[in-house]
Amino acid sequence: MASEAPLTENSRKVNPARPIFIAFAAWVVPGLGHLLLKRWGRALIFFLAAGGLAVVGYGMRGEVFTPLSSDPFGALGFLADICAGVFYFLPRFLEASGPDISRAAGDYGTRFIAAAGIVNLLGVLDAYAIASRRRS
Amino acid sequence: MLRTALHLSHFAAMVVFALLVSIVLAGLARRTAAERIRYALWTLMMFLLVGVGIAWLMYPFSR
Repeated sequence: MASEAPLTENSRKVNPARPIFIAFAAWVVPGLGHLLLKRWGRALIFFLAAGGLAVVGYGMRGEVFTPLSSDPFGALGFLADICAGVFYFLPRFLEASGPDISRAAGDYGTRFIAAAGIVNLLGVLDAYAIASRRRS
Repeated sequence: MLRTALHLSHFAAMVVFALLVSIVLAGLARRTAAERIRYALWTLMMFLLVGVGIAWLMYPFSR
């Protein structure tokens, strides 16, 4: 029994760079952090949910906030949007006709895109917590 | 490329939003598949009930 204690102690040690790498991967591609942690279910959930929200938001011609916004709400919107990782850069490919917030659908689309970022932020925090063994 | 815009009604947009967010919340809050499905359905129902309830309360002020 005494020889098992150091093994258990060693197995609990976490490379401090790993959770940061996992969190970065989870931010870049929603679900990738969980995929690297072999949490297949959560990886699929985060990829489909963040991706679904972003793609529907772009389909509804929602607006993506740019980093250089003079409006504080624009800055908050950018922070939410950028959390979606790769999906933040999709409108260049998906939104051929650009955003249109003159209609309610475009305004809803803007919220969908922001929600995709917030959902992915939850995924990043969850992946970080799992990688640092703070959550199972 | 999405050449044509998605045309969702207000209610359909709310259902899609509630469904996707409910799935994420269930995935985070519960461990087993059965628990996740129950929790997702419960959260989805609450999203829709509260959304329709707030819309109903705001209706007199909409005009």
